[in-house]
Amino acid sequence: MMRMFVEGIGLLGPGLDGWSAGRAVLAGDAAYVAAPTNLRASDMLPAAERRRAGVPIKLALAVGQEAFLQSGCDTRTASTVFTSSGGDNDNVHAINGILATAPREVSPTRFHNSVHNAAAGYWCIAAGSHEPSTSLCAYDASFAAGLLESATQVTIDGAVVAMVAYDHPYPEPLQMVRPITAPFGMALILTPRQSGKSLAALEVEFVAGTTPETTMPEAGLEALRIGVPAARGLPLLSALAGGKPAQISIAYFADNHLNIRVTPC
Amino acid sequence: MAASAQEKELAQLIVTSLNLEVSADEIDPEAALYGEGLGLDSIDILELSLAISKTYGVQLKSDDADNNKIFSSLRNLNDHIQQHRGQ
Repeated sequence: MMRMFVEGIGLLGPGLDGWSAGRAVLAGDAAYVAAPTNLRASDMLPAAERRRAGVPIKLALAVGQEAFLQSGCDTRTASTVFTSSGGDNDNVHAINGILATAPREVSPTRFHNSVHNAAAGYWCIAAGSHEPSTSLCAYDASFAAGLLESATQVTIDGAVVAMVAYDHPYPEPLQMVRPITAPFGMALILTPRQSGKSLAALEVEFVAGTTPETTMPEAGLEALRIGVPAARGLPLLSALAGGKPAQISIAYFADNHLNIRVTPC
Repeated sequence: MAASAQEKELAQLIVTSLNLEVSADEIDPEAALYGEGLGLDSIDILELSLAISKTYGVQLKSDDADNNKIFSSLRNLNDHIQQHRGQ
């Protein structure tokens, strides 16, 4: 069992425009009204990076920035874990299109953005961070893998870790094969020690064997949870929004899962 | 001297291909493209070379000894493109 504290939360998704606005919805105190994700460029990035960053990268940076602004942590000294099933899906589609068409000359900017850790690269430039950064993908278990990695770094290394989970729909025809229903991102600032800014303690435990996943009671939010790998973290955000002790289960690979106990500070 | 029609067309290609946050009209034809001035960097120059190749059919090589001069300003870049079009 790994114990850590949540000190900041970022959220951006359809009808969930930031943690401050989305918190009441996730707590069940306000109705969920689906609306297009309000994507916006982070003002953290220098101009050259801002104009090169794709939409999925902007999504990742926006939630990371929101989470840090709530916390008392310094972006320069926090480690980062980015997790996404597909990364910059728009860029994958565009490069596939270029490679399928003569003369197959790939844009240097698209090539530069084609690595899965592009979001981490842009973040480290924006945040002025030289700390370790990990970029993961684990299909539908991407959120759980990111949380497990983050929890490990917090408890073993004593690091402050910013975990960012984000996913963006593919353009067609890839979307037919791998449907991701909406742009969605969330971020958690995780610390090894409690502070005056701590929102809740998390105890994360890897458990072998099948256990029913915690679902979202609201139908629209449940559809979002199932439709976007990064949104598998919604039950955790819902528990944090509720401000009450809670225990949730999130599926991991091969019928394994994570048990997460949430205790408000 | 004000930008010519060809220079304005090239300025628009630069803005579009690099997703610049300035308009084509704001690019001084005699100001530096690289570093100070417009603030382009090495990735931008590679991207721009690809866009010029597709649009004008002029190949700009990374090992050309005259690159500093060719990319020194919108005017010099346009002169180079016009001299080598159709070759």
